[in-house]
Amino acid sequence: MDAVHTFDLSKSFGNFHAVDHVNLQIGSEVFGLLGPNGAGKTTLTRMLTTVLTPTEGTAVVAGADIRTEADKVRRHIGVVAQATTLDFELSAYENMDIYGEYFDIPRQLRKERIKRLLEVVGLADRAKSLVGGFSGGMKRRLEIVRSLIHEPEILFLDEPTTGLDPQARAAVWEYLVKLHKEQGITLVITTHFMDEAEGLCDRLAIVDYGKIVALGTPHELKRQVSGGDIVEADFLSAPENALNALKNADFVLEIKQQGSLLTIRVSNGAEAIPKIIEIVDANGGKVRTITLREITLDDVFLSFTGRSLRE
Amino acid sequence: MKGAIPVCKRDLRKFVRQPVMMVAVVLIPLINLVLLGSAFGGAITHAPIAIVRDSYGPLSSSLIGILQNQQSCLFGGTNCQNSFNLENVADLQTAQSMLKEGSVKGIVYIPANFDAPGGTHDLPVYVDTTDPTSAGAISADLTQAGQQLSIQLQASSPAASANATATSVTLIFSSPYRNLLYIEFMAPGSLVQTVMFVSIIGGGITILNDRERGVIEGYLVTPLSRYDIVFGVLLAGVVKALFSAGVMFILAILFAGIHPNVGLSGAILMVLTLVLTAFGLLSMMTAIAVKMPNRDMLQFMVGPLNFIFYFTSGAIYPIQGFPTWMQEFSLVNPEAYAVTALRTLMYKGATLAGVIGDLTFLFVFTVTMVMLATIAFRRGL
Repeated sequence: MDAVHTFDLSKSFGNFHAVDHVNLQIGSEVFGLLGPNGAGKTTLTRMLTTVLTPTEGTAVVAGADIRTEADKVRRHIGVVAQATTLDFELSAYENMDIYGEYFDIPRQLRKERIKRLLEVVGLADRAKSLVGGFSGGMKRRLEIVRSLIHEPEILFLDEPTTGLDPQARAAVWEYLVKLHKEQGITLVITTHFMDEAEGLCDRLAIVDYGKIVALGTPHELKRQVSGGDIVEADFLSAPENALNALKNADFVLEIKQQGSLLTIRVSNGAEAIPKIIEIVDANGGKVRTITLREITLDDVFLSFTGRSLRE
Repeated sequence: MKGAIPVCKRDLRKFVRQPVMMVAVVLIPLINLVLLGSAFGGAITHAPIAIVRDSYGPLSSSLIGILQNQQSCLFGGTNCQNSFNLENVADLQTAQSMLKEGSVKGIVYIPANFDAPGGTHDLPVYVDTTDPTSAGAISADLTQAGQQLSIQLQASSPAASANATATSVTLIFSSPYRNLLYIEFMAPGSLVQTVMFVSIIGGGITILNDRERGVIEGYLVTPLSRYDIVFGVLLAGVVKALFSAGVMFILAILFAGIHPNVGLSGAILMVLTLVLTAFGLLSMMTAIAVKMPNRDMLQFMVGPLNFIFYFTSGAIYPIQGFPTWMQEFSLVNPEAYAVTALRTLMYKGATLAGVIGDLTFLFVFTVTMVMLATIAFRRGL
């Protein structure tokens, strides 16, 4: 059975279609919703977690309908919001204990689970410390396990590593993968970080203007950007005719220019580099640096939406 | 020092762009001026006085006539109004229970031998000394009325003027209660203000903080219902308010010279009064807070709100001394009922009968506000 199955799920605010007829199936996997800010990822997640009511369509989450069985959905999902909702005046243990009471978990069972979950994220020795003194990464890890106190089947995380330093991010990713592998929890992660999407997610949906524009494993998505390598060339000087000559060269598939930087998609990168330098030289230009790199998710995003995630 | 200019500019621009702030800096002092200026220093007029009449001769009739026409004025004889609202009561016992409930501020008892020619014309007068300001004004006005009656008596019976005791009216003042200090009079209002502060923080600011931090939305992905959230917040507020008022009460006794006279039943009724007040004020603040766009707006509002409710409650000056518009507001001010009930319980040794009217109003107010808070919460969060 799918963890999440949406049927023409839509949400409009007036004439603005934040989520536009989304049909999506998520199995037992780490699933990423990738898109720029305002793409509709958060609205989609808020509907799936029963906070917002759809204006059209519906979804089945953890076997229950989000419209008609919201309470049942809530008992089987965990949610980690983007901004922390921990109580800084309380200890790590108290934060989890009270959250467990919301789900009516008996005291003894809460005690066992809190102990085990704090161990999973390396916070067992800080159980009695007040959360106000925790680092950003520790707070995030605590928040993640707090949302697992009722052993949900699906965990929704909104931008789980925003605002964390690289080391803390890596730790959070590690724990998330561990939770998925050891406890079999489906993770649905919204992010606008490509490395997060690529390093963490089994499958990705690229979301733009409320629609799913591409879906697949990171590998599949990159293959969909039809073949070739990416060559990035930075010019000292690039006269108009040099650019035109490049555009007309038979080995060049696509050229995008951002200032003095050219992103050139070619069929064979290694062979293309000397040819590019030759063409530019012949037309009176000068190449400063030239690099060959593999296709990234940003290129995928660029090719599906015409915009860069990095903008 | 050149850098001061842009820093100043930034500050001024931000000030101009925040109309709420501009309104607040003018509005708050204005409210304070009008409320404080009107609350203090008004003459005590229309004081409710019970008349118990056991004698029906001409002397007692002239006394009632004098009392009816007695005027209280501000200095220089301006702004004169009737001093008393007289109410005929059948017997002294009923009048005394009315004094206890606070529906009258004093009793004038005309005994059976008052009109007897050649008698002493003693006039027992009972005054509610738990309101020292009113008691002072009423005593002065009654004394004046007594002197006027004595003059009439002497004029009408010149023959008897040799016997001085027989030709003058003697007012015999007494009170079933101790003479309170002004600080004792004020103390119940401070208990209510403690409850109001807890309500502002617990019912208003905490909820907005939680909403801004996304805690409320976090609740909504758990099996908790909106009712659970509202009642949980209210319950916590009531506990906090009761605790704070309790601490305030003990500190007032220890350090402020307050000497309440409260038995067990009085204490239970005080707790009930405080719980009802806290429940009502917390719900009111919740209903208001949910409608506020942000925390700043709420913070600007709570100052004036606190002022309006406190100064019109009769906590610092008797309501009889207010101008009419303020007296009318007091009629719907829950703090006024809470202050009256607490004062009655603290200093008059009252039972349920003495405060039932106040508690009924508080109950109706609380039920209404809980409903409003629940509706506001359901729609606004």
